[in-house]
Amino acid sequence: MSIDNPEVMETPNAEAVAEAPILTEVLPELPTVMDEQDLIIETRNLSKRYGRLQAISNLNLQVPRGAIYGFVGPNGAGKTSTMRILTTLMKPSGGEAYISGYSVVTAPREVRRSIGYMPDFFGVYEDMKVWEYLDFFAACYEIPEAQRPGLINDLLELVDLAHRRDDMVDKLSRGMKQRLCLARTLAHDPQVLILDEPASGLDPRARIEIRELLIELAKMGKTIFFSSHILADVNEICTHIGIIEAGQMVAQGPIKAMRQQLMPHRVLVITLLGRMDEAKEALLHVEGILGIVDLPPEDGKIRIKVEFTGEDLRMSEMLQALTSKGIPVVNFAEESSDLEAVFMKATKGIVS
Amino acid sequence: METPATRTRISLNPLRPLLRNPVALKELRGRMRGPRAFVVLTCYLIVVGGFTTLLYIAGTAATYNTTGEVDGGTLGRVLFGSVVAIELFLVTFITPAFTAGSISGEHESQTYDLLRTTLLPERQLVFGKLFSALAYVFLLLLAAIPLQSIAFLFGGVDVEEIVISLLVLLATAIFLGNIGVYYSAITHRTLRANIMTYVTILAVILVTTAGAVIALAIVEGLDPSTSSSGSEWVLLVARGIFVCLNPLTTLLSTQQYLVNQQTLFTFKYTFTDGTTTTLPSPWIAFTIFYLLLSVAVFFATTRHLKRIEG
Repeated sequence: MSIDNPEVMETPNAEAVAEAPILTEVLPELPTVMDEQDLIIETRNLSKRYGRLQAISNLNLQVPRGAIYGFVGPNGAGKTSTMRILTTLMKPSGGEAYISGYSVVTAPREVRRSIGYMPDFFGVYEDMKVWEYLDFFAACYEIPEAQRPGLINDLLELVDLAHRRDDMVDKLSRGMKQRLCLARTLAHDPQVLILDEPASGLDPRARIEIRELLIELAKMGKTIFFSSHILADVNEICTHIGIIEAGQMVAQGPIKAMRQQLMPHRVLVITLLGRMDEAKEALLHVEGILGIVDLPPEDGKIRIKVEFTGEDLRMSEMLQALTSKGIPVVNFAEESSDLEAVFMKATKGIVS
Repeated sequence: METPATRTRISLNPLRPLLRNPVALKELRGRMRGPRAFVVLTCYLIVVGGFTTLLYIAGTAATYNTTGEVDGGTLGRVLFGSVVAIELFLVTFITPAFTAGSISGEHESQTYDLLRTTLLPERQLVFGKLFSALAYVFLLLLAAIPLQSIAFLFGGVDVEEIVISLLVLLATAIFLGNIGVYYSAITHRTLRANIMTYVTILAVILVTTAGAVIALAIVEGLDPSTSSSGSEWVLLVARGIFVCLNPLTTLLSTQQYLVNQQTLFTFKYTFTDGTTTTLPSPWIAFTIFYLLLSVAVFFATTRHLKRIEG
């Protein structure tokens, strides 16, 4: 599966998602994480129990500074509980959680200063103007009155709502409200954004706008920790993912490493104009090849699928082996192991 | 275009420090926006004004003295007392309505979690909600002062009485406001908070009125030859407590002492054995008690909000 045809685990928005690719021709470049060991969000054996229900058990979350971390899992896996603990709204039953080095239990004020939180609902006051809404939250974050008008204009500019500054909040569309909420989370210039299902319930255009905004914010140096049950979102913008199921972390790490770790076999599809046997013979001499399978021909062209392990260098060696013998290669492309396969492999389907 | 920056710079508002409280500012903006604030104020004045007019018509007919002229002093006092009573009634109903939705409304609009993750201290949240609601109630009370003052035309009422009535009304509003916010904080549901607030108010009114009446009946029925001054003291204090817990009896007995004894701050009580003692006027006890209780409820509300979901 490629980016051009994203599928979803749960499809409340199946039509919406299907339309999305028209607008995503150019995918923005993702930020890079400098130091994998510099953790800005860290939990150690975090647990949460509601009566007899164990919502989270021994969760060790590790989010490096500057990452766009996708926290993926089915509904009811413990994503929201984890986020409520990280945002100081709920006490953990056991374990520790730190944001920017501050414990969410013992230093909640410092944690609140470092985070911007967007829950999975809008949370807007309907009887306010757009600028008043931001002014109110800026005041709640103790931003001096004199600085607020400039800040509000900057925030509205960033989320592209400057033209709606004096409108009432209830006149805004869903996507606009979501962007206004995102602007609110940025009022105090936090280092970390904790976003619960930021794209849920939005139309395709609004989803893409939010996605681009998140990448923009990551480039500004913010760490973004967001939850989603839609893999397509995660696939396109995350540098890191964590997969949670039934309150337990099944797998986490940089997205590339995750793909390799869980899907060690890489798959290459080669299209030829002829000389298939010679091609197979040539490829067998390359190290790391696990198997070659014939695919049904397409438009009369021969196609073979090569499974291999290792770095990109292997692919280069394969291409050289073919071209040095003058074999007519017309297409040579890796089939990206999609996140859904990674996800299905990692989770056992306990929840949902 | 006018920006908020220019707007704030030219402001000479004496309430400026209070408006630093973001919640108070937001609530006042919301409350005074649109026709609602104007409509409530107008209806309130129509009700109070209508009753005053009716009482005036009824009063002039009923208070002819022996020489066939209207007894101005009595009419003035009746008008004044009635206006205060109506105000008390309206404040008792309006204040809970303005406050019982304050915190639960944040839960209902799903903004409570957002507020909790900001740096806004809980006491500022409670104070802002309370202040904005009480500011409007205070506006209603101030707006009715001209109607209270009609009594001046007939005499029999002093400025001090208007000030005292305002103090008692205000203490009542502050207490009821705190009760409303408290229930709003602990229930998360506006409807339930409203019901709990009104039930509490009704209970206070019933218990204090019944208590005052019973204590009074016992005092009146005392036989001077058999009762000791000790037991009379107990009854006097008991009656005093019940009277001072109820704004209506507080106002009535304050005015009674004012008319009979011409004293504003104290009154003399004569025991059945003939000895007398001087006690503070009920409005003082009422105001101090309910303001202290309001502070206690305020802190209880703040404490409740500080708790983090376990």
